[in-house]
Amino acid sequence: MMWRDPGQPADSYYEVRPEITDAPKTKFRIKAGKTLSARKWQSAFNSDGQLDISKTLGRIHRGGVHPSIRGEVWEFLLGCYDPKSTFDERSQMRQRRRVQYAQWKEECRQMFPLIGSGKFITAPIINEHGEAILDPLVLLETDLGDATAGIAADGAGDYSSREMENTVKNDSPMSKKEIQWKLTLHQIGLDVKRTDRALVFYEKQENLAKLWDILSVYAWIDGDVGYCQGMSDLCSPMIILLDNEADSFWCFERLMRRLRGNFNPLADLLG
Amino acid sequence: MSSDEEAEEYLFKIVIIGDSAVGKSNLLSRYARNEFNMHSKATIGVEFQTQSMEIEGKEVKAQIWDTAGQERFRAVTSAYYRGAVGALLVYDISRRTTFDSVGRWLDELTTHSDTTVARMLVGNKCDLDNIRAVSIDEGKSLAEEHGLFFMETSAKDSTNVRTAFEMVIKEIYSSVSRKVLNSDSYKAQLSLNRVSIVDDEKKQTQGNSCCSR
Repeated sequence: MMWRDPGQPADSYYEVRPEITDAPKTKFRIKAGKTLSARKWQSAFNSDGQLDISKTLGRIHRGGVHPSIRGEVWEFLLGCYDPKSTFDERSQMRQRRRVQYAQWKEECRQMFPLIGSGKFITAPIINEHGEAILDPLVLLETDLGDATAGIAADGAGDYSSREMENTVKNDSPMSKKEIQWKLTLHQIGLDVKRTDRALVFYEKQENLAKLWDILSVYAWIDGDVGYCQGMSDLCSPMIILLDNEADSFWCFERLMRRLRGNFNPLADLLG
Repeated sequence: MSSDEEAEEYLFKIVIIGDSAVGKSNLLSRYARNEFNMHSKATIGVEFQTQSMEIEGKEVKAQIWDTAGQERFRAVTSAYYRGAVGALLVYDISRRTTFDSVGRWLDELTTHSDTTVARMLVGNKCDLDNIRAVSIDEGKSLAEEHGLFFMETSAKDSTNVRTAFEMVIKEIYSSVSRKVLNSDSYKAQLSLNRVSIVDDEKKQTQGNSCCSR
């Protein structure tokens, strides 16, 4: 006789690359009656969409959240949305936030066109004085050749790297904030390449680029913190759990409100 | 065994420094545990491992410190370098900018640690010869210019990793024994620089916390 339901492992929701044999297995088990299910979650909303979160917290605490609804549950847990808000209010707010994110991302793209291109860099593009570094690795990484193929048939790749060269060489003086931001972009890239790399999810270049874009935009809007190693690990689950990039960004932004104190530049703390 | 002989145990602190993602942590894990992880995460803060070797019949322990490469973490490095007698300054032979940073790391080392007696320039990832961006000669001549040992390594395929660490440890050992022979006062000074639990306790009873300067 079975005394306790051993539960179903959740590993299949976060698929590990087959060649990786030493990835730790999650201890989490989906347990019927204990884990917050999609059905239970939906039944905690009234007809206007207001959520009785107290009904769900105990279950989340004891049995966790079913992987299929983690993204939407986390939005509430992280405080993106007030449980008392209605469906309509939330959908408006979501729309506004998506627009806001798109604006910030565009600001970043203006400064560095690789933002939002599906590519990213892992070598510095400028030095501390704001002078361009034309690292061959960057030129290789920024070559938008295959992304623009078909648009400009004649040497699209050449054109792009030349365009990038001009962007990097841009002589107009940059603000201190912009220099600071540009100095972190390759660091973000170096860490993106080694964040949760055991997951099949990150075999897709577009997901790596998403992580890079979100961290880069965040570094721009929170200039005091910028980017600090460790942040990529916090951002990664948001991208895995929410399909929409802007929604992932806002979850990460909410999480950082709680944690950014840990990432304050140490120099300021120690004088 | 007399208590004098027991005191002749060697524990050397060695630091690994260099730009982000040059392979510092994998060099250490290859040396200390013969492990290499293609998918390892960025190092946050500081980690260390202890590894022993035998020199002239004596057990010599190396306590090897590994830290995050990001500029941001430089603020806590005075503590990181304190008491280090050896240093491995690592760059990635496939990424030019990591080699260009060597000068800055060297300044850093000189500023924070005048106790390092053995310093080695390490060109890691030499298995990536097909995309090499720094030649062996460039590495060699930079090392000569600054009086550093030089070695190219690959934490991935193990090339020279053990050799590099052991060369640094042996140099520290011989430098220590040479100086011990030459001067008794220096011996006293060195025993302070040597990382050892006993010394740390002594320092603490003298009222110096680890944060004092």
